[in-house]
Amino acid sequence: MTSTHPVAARYLAELERGLSAIDPAERAEIVREIANHIADAQAAGRPLEEVLQVLGPAGALARAYAVETILNPKTPQSHWDRTLTLIGFFAIASLPSFVLIVTLGAVGFAFVVAGVAAIGAALASFAGFVDIMDTPPGYALAVGPFLLAGGIAALTALVYYVRFLARLARRTLARTRT
Amino acid sequence: MSDSSSRGIGEWTSQVRRGLLELCLLRLLARAPSYGYEIVTALDAHRPLASGENTVYPLLRRLKHDGLLATFSQESPSGPPRQYYRLTVAGRQRLEALTTEWAAMSEAVQTFLEENPS
Repeated sequence: MTSTHPVAARYLAELERGLSAIDPAERAEIVREIANHIADAQAAGRPLEEVLQVLGPAGALARAYAVETILNPKTPQSHWDRTLTLIGFFAIASLPSFVLIVTLGAVGFAFVVAGVAAIGAALASFAGFVDIMDTPPGYALAVGPFLLAGGIAALTALVYYVRFLARLARRTLARTRT
Repeated sequence: MSDSSSRGIGEWTSQVRRGLLELCLLRLLARAPSYGYEIVTALDAHRPLASGENTVYPLLRRLKHDGLLATFSQESPSGPPRQYYRLTVAGRQRLEALTTEWAAMSEAVQTFLEENPS
């Protein structure tokens, strides 16, 4: 058995890193398959640089695998599960999407909580259950729904953004060498 | 290859090819089980089908996940054991369905083009 050329080894290591979201047994299979491909191609006389060039960057290849498993899950997932998986996937896919996702998620969640709390506290105050508010309860009752609406809007934007990224990823990764 | 019309054609071809790749992969493996490099080389032999390893390998994996292909290991003369793919019963059924669909579609397109000459 021939030992792996350092350039090929580096490529495979980078591929493995890119597949970290995939389960270890599957990941090992994928890396082994690509390693075999490289070995077979070289045995057929193709130069290593050409083989790696045709495979494309290791990161892109890893993402192509991730797309197939994450965007096309084998078990039917609930709508909620799929959305959460997509959020996780795209949060780590790029820094800008990470920032946007975290911002929308945090703002959304915080606003929803604040909105519900404000409305709840105002209603409780009106009903006479509590009297702990410094701000007039009427004010809280007026502002609360806006906070809540803002929060829901942010979370909805997050879901749409992530679905948009999924469509974009599918189209981009459909492009292969011509 | 940088002018917009050839880029557009390239993208269209890629989309079409990707859609048909599943059909071609299933048909190839219906004849006999095969492994990665052999599969890729067989497709390469027909230039318009040459899809690039970065599409074929992930697609093989997805077809396996979908239960259309099964894998088994076999010793290889030139390195670690190879992973072979073979068609499952579900895979055969899907191949039949896709073949029928493709025949209908390609005939419809051909007829349409003939009836509407440019």
